[in-house]
Amino acid sequence: MKKMIAATIIILLAMPGFTAAYTYNSKEFTSIVKKLDMQGHADHELSTCSVKKVYYEEIIEMLNGGKSEEQVLQSYVNEYGQAALRTPGKDKSGLIAWGMPAAGFAGGAAIVALWIRKLKTKATAGSGIKTLEWESETEKQITEKVLDEERRKLF
Amino acid sequence: MYVIGNIALYLGIVIAAYSLLANIIGMIKKDNRWLESARGGVLSLLFVSSIAAALLLYLLGTSQFQFKYVATYTNETLPLIYKLSAFWAGNAGSLMLWAFLLCVYAAMVVFSKEKRNPMMPYVSSIMLVNILFFFTVMVLNANPFEMTGSIPPDGKGLNPMLQNPGMVVHPVTLYLGYVGLSVPFAFGIAALILKRMDAEWIKLTRRWTLTAWMFLTIGNIVGGWWAYLELGWGGYWAWDPVENASFLPWLTVSAFLHSVMIQERKNMLKTWNVSLIILSYILSLFGTFLVRSGILTSVHAFGDSNLGTYFLVFMSFMMLVSIYIVMTRYQLIKKESNQVESYFSKESSFLVNNLIFVAAAFAVFWGTMYPLISETLTGAKINVGAPYFNKVMAPIMLSLIVLMAVCPLIAWQKPAVDKFLKSMMWPLAVGAATGIILTVLGVKGIFAIIGLSSASFMLATHIQEFMRGTSARMKATKENPWKAAYRLTAKNQRRYGGYIVHIGIAVLAIGVISSQAYSKEVMKTVNKGESFTIGKYELTFNSLAERMKDGNGIVTADVDASYKGKSIGKIMPEKIFYETWPEPSSEVAIKTNLAEDLYVVVSSWESRDKVTFLVKVNPFVSWIWAGGIIMLAGTVFALFGGKPTLSRIPAIAGQKFKGR
Repeated sequence: MKKMIAATIIILLAMPGFTAAYTYNSKEFTSIVKKLDMQGHADHELSTCSVKKVYYEEIIEMLNGGKSEEQVLQSYVNEYGQAALRTPGKDKSGLIAWGMPAAGFAGGAAIVALWIRKLKTKATAGSGIKTLEWESETEKQITEKVLDEERRKLF
Repeated sequence: MYVIGNIALYLGIVIAAYSLLANIIGMIKKDNRWLESARGGVLSLLFVSSIAAALLLYLLGTSQFQFKYVATYTNETLPLIYKLSAFWAGNAGSLMLWAFLLCVYAAMVVFSKEKRNPMMPYVSSIMLVNILFFFTVMVLNANPFEMTGSIPPDGKGLNPMLQNPGMVVHPVTLYLGYVGLSVPFAFGIAALILKRMDAEWIKLTRRWTLTAWMFLTIGNIVGGWWAYLELGWGGYWAWDPVENASFLPWLTVSAFLHSVMIQERKNMLKTWNVSLIILSYILSLFGTFLVRSGILTSVHAFGDSNLGTYFLVFMSFMMLVSIYIVMTRYQLIKKESNQVESYFSKESSFLVNNLIFVAAAFAVFWGTMYPLISETLTGAKINVGAPYFNKVMAPIMLSLIVLMAVCPLIAWQKPAVDKFLKSMMWPLAVGAATGIILTVLGVKGIFAIIGLSSASFMLATHIQEFMRGTSARMKATKENPWKAAYRLTAKNQRRYGGYIVHIGIAVLAIGVISSQAYSKEVMKTVNKGESFTIGKYELTFNSLAERMKDGNGIVTADVDASYKGKSIGKIMPEKIFYETWPEPSSEVAIKTNLAEDLYVVVSSWESRDKVTFLVKVNPFVSWIWAGGIIMLAGTVFALFGGKPTLSRIPAIAGQKFKGR
């Protein structure tokens, strides 16, 4: 009997829904709030936004009622649609929203790559100048020193 | 007053139309007398718009409530500075400000040293079209001098959120930026019309563009500072549609400022550059359209009005005309283009830089407009909020930081991979060391650590560039380090000004990454005398007091704050209940230092003895403002550098003007 009581207490302690009362500072609460789009004065703090107060109380109630973060969010999506959340979802419309910037970047990168290639090809084809070759290492060093000296004069 | 104000507005339309016509006749007949007359018209417009602007300021300052605009945005008890700043609080006033600034810019351009430049009549005409549009819109739809049916005893007052020094600066600087973009836009189009495909228009407008960019930077940063102080939610950038609208031209102008260097040096990217400046200008109109159309919900919006339609029509007109001109000149631009000599060169890196900036602009634009697109196409409402933008923009901005870290080390034209690798070693080591130190110190968050390491890599690259330049100069001239550093930067203000701006961005990035990743927040209800902690801070609530000031009720909480057990003084967050406004506003109490901000808001209270506080510890927020100041300093430094325009007077061959 004692073992059963002890086991029950341990199970109850392990189930936060029964034991822990959620507050505005709970990790789960802040995580949900960050994902929800509070209509009205969304960016105001609590006292200046009555809508926010209602949401806050509802979330705490649902969390204390044993609902998980996903369930709480889903309940808002069921009620208000995807507009309840601050980000697009995983449906077709959401995927377009998320995918388009990446597609735009990839498309832009491809254009820039082709552009540089085209410009480079033209440059190679149009260049009639032979690459300068040094007759000796000493000549190279002398030229480099002269150029360096000239550069310094520009300061 | 009513008559003077309205005459000024109508005169604005008449003079703008006349000057435009005079320019067209002057250009067709090649008659300088008409062009001179148009120039005089621009001066008259400046005079007329100044009269209108000064009159509106007078009406606001003296509380002339018989005027609708004054009665809507001010009241008797409003401090004078906010009475005057109500100038741009509403649609009509902000359009007046826009028209006035356009006239100022147009007069400065038309009477500049380049006044004899053959491009000038075209530039002037393009700016006059803008001026004509703004005066017409004011007369037809948003007249700041409209009278009320009956004179109210007092005005409605200014939105409390706008009663902040940030709001005195933020809109004006943003408008200066937006309007400033019309100058390079006008020069770009003028160059295309005249088929002048060289870089002259870019050299002529370098300072104008940089000035516009500087104002956009100030506007955005001051806007963030205002949001941080005034909105009470502890952040500075909410990715609100209107914030995004002001960020968009900043991104495209940043791309433009880099790509023009390639045109100047290599005579390349001509179509791209002119397209970028057209895009930037159109985006500045788009921002105005967003604010006034009411199509998207925003804390910045002026509310629903049909002004959006006017802006949509004007924006479309300017866009179509610009595209037509670019298309008709495309073959000519293409014919005179040069080529890239190496894949690994500064030219290529600038193209990548442009790709990133434009991709960032596209992502912001897409995210801003997608709720509208989705609702129009599918009927389903969705939101694209801050978490979306944070996720999408973080990798783009990170790649930009990394590019800024390596770009200064890449040589023009020829590949110099060995030198590049050698010069990158030290900055890269600094970046890696930052990452290791942060990890060893137990700092969590791999993405934030990567971001901070990249920012320090970028910072180290630029410091190294200054040091290398100074050291080379010291060797060559035997000057002492300070003198060498001074002369080095003074000799090439444009380059080193740009580097200072980059350093500012690195500092700002450190602030943004740290405050986003490591911010702590607590909401606590406490009784009198009770304490609570957040991080290493301890706060003790002492009392809640009420008082009246200028007819407004103010509730102040008295809180003792300590850091690591050591007192750091009192914190007095307030809640203000305005007589003329339905919602109270929060006056945030902030204790700031270089490492972090303690941010305290009185959230609500049950009684004098039981109060709920929202407290945040935001790391490195002051670095954001410091970064902004460094960016500003760098831009000012770069503005005064650079060679003057090469061609002051030369007329196009065969183009002769009659008259004086």
